[in-house]
Amino acid sequence: MPTRRQRILLLVPLALVLIPFLIGPALFGFFASFTNYAPNQKNLHVVGLANYAAVVNDSEFRSAYRNVAVFALVAVPAELGLGFLLAYLLREPFRGRGLVRVLLLVPWLVSPIANGVMWRYLLNSQTGLLDYVLAWFRVTAASSPLGIQGLALPTVIATDIWRLAPLVSFLVLPGLLAIPADLREQATLEGASLWNQIRHIAIPHVLPLLLTIALLLIGATLGTFENVLMMTGGGPGTATATPGLSSYQQAFQINNWSLGAAGAWVIVAAILVLGLVYLRLMRAAVEQ
Amino acid sequence: MNGLNAGWRAQRRRQTWLRAGLMGLALVAFLLPLAWTLVASLGIAPDATTSPPAFHGQFSLVNYTQEIGVAEPGFWLKVLTTATLATLSTLATVLVAFLAAYSLARSRIQANSIFISGFLILASLPVMAYIIPLADIVQRLHLYDTFAGLTLVEAAVAAPLAVFVLFGYLRQVPTDLEEAAHLEGAGLFQILGRIVLPLVAPGVIATALVIFVLNWNSLLIPLVLASVQVKTVSVALVDFFTFERELEWQTAAAALIISLLPILVLVGLAHRALDKFVLDPTRVEN
Repeated sequence: MPTRRQRILLLVPLALVLIPFLIGPALFGFFASFTNYAPNQKNLHVVGLANYAAVVNDSEFRSAYRNVAVFALVAVPAELGLGFLLAYLLREPFRGRGLVRVLLLVPWLVSPIANGVMWRYLLNSQTGLLDYVLAWFRVTAASSPLGIQGLALPTVIATDIWRLAPLVSFLVLPGLLAIPADLREQATLEGASLWNQIRHIAIPHVLPLLLTIALLLIGATLGTFENVLMMTGGGPGTATATPGLSSYQQAFQINNWSLGAAGAWVIVAAILVLGLVYLRLMRAAVEQ
Repeated sequence: MNGLNAGWRAQRRRQTWLRAGLMGLALVAFLLPLAWTLVASLGIAPDATTSPPAFHGQFSLVNYTQEIGVAEPGFWLKVLTTATLATLSTLATVLVAFLAAYSLARSRIQANSIFISGFLILASLPVMAYIIPLADIVQRLHLYDTFAGLTLVEAAVAAPLAVFVLFGYLRQVPTDLEEAAHLEGAGLFQILGRIVLPLVAPGVIATALVIFVLNWNSLLIPLVLASVQVKTVSVALVDFFTFERELEWQTAAAALIISLLPILVLVGLAHRALDKFVLDPTRVEN
């Protein structure tokens, strides 16, 4: 067993990496958001909550947070549900299961930016998959759904579900396989319906795992940037604006560093709150 | 008794066919967009104007050999840069995370589970949330647009997840072998290298693979913290739609396939190792 001194030494490399490049920036961003700090700011002074007030008053940021909340509320349960069902389909071994698992991992291998590029073309009239399929039904679509006010956000959400639901199935399957075999067999012999089997055996066993995956998914959703950058640029109007995109544009393109940094820090705050909720839920789930 | 068995077998057969059908449907849904892209990159374009819609064009590799070079000069160099960066940062991440996870897994503190959950929360934090202050810090440290800077930042972003996962594996390893070796006078790094690492090697490799994919696909970090010296494939993809330039679908498709191919091959070759990737939070609670 390593001594206390050795254990501290083993943590030093991690600290040397995390403190300057993750924890440091997050804290720095927090304190800077209460000042008028910017990289080339000459006279620095405290401004209190002015930056956050500006964020709240900005209609684009308001849309952005609303969009990303909708995004998370729709996409995460869909990804969890679909992923769980896919994993449940895979729980019994069959020939070629290994291949199917690898094939299901492929959408996640596509980077978010490549995903954005791909779907932008796929939903496009001339070259798209969508129009090709619609043409089979003699329907001609006028323009890409990404350009239609009411369809843009749902479309972006759908592409995200496409990309991540199979990943969830990959992550959930080990959890399902860890359920004691006799429990499953007994339920089948007793004639328990599929729904009951899922509800009373499978889900309780994988609930902690689902919560963990949920937290990771929500975090990723709150930071959505690449796909909207490529697919819609935040439009039409502000229909697909996200805090990630807006704060990026404010800080690096419009040169309003304070607004961008404050807008982004709200994401940190949201994750911290969600983290606390997660800890509470985990304790309840494990005690079951 | 016979009747019961026959009915049960028939039900199983129905279930098997149903499952196969659903599985097939899922595979089509999740792979069709990629197949479409692959086909386009090989020179076959869809034509939705005819009825029924058809394809036209000839199978060719010209998109890979010529068009890419014309549309995006230096693309292949960017592939090499991305591979180098992803490899370096994955090695850094796994090394740093392994040591830290071991330390935490052998600790006697009872508040461990909250502490390790803290790493999961850090892992959930999207890079966008802190990249704006991070860009400033990287500039001041003179690490902007350098391999070293990017490697360190990517390592910082990936480390929390790696620590969380490796902690899970290391917690499962019984400590008797380590204690025996310690009694025989083995040093810490000897124990780590000769005893612990071989036991968790599959898990470490699986984790390294996942981290490699995450690094390969990252955009924000090379986009914001680098410009001319370090150009990655992800950043090149962003260039496709700048200045109103709309790249031809076939060429873009080829670029997309190239950006996917290396990690696809890697995952294909190492998929057995990936089976060992387990995100098991309940191990943390024990």
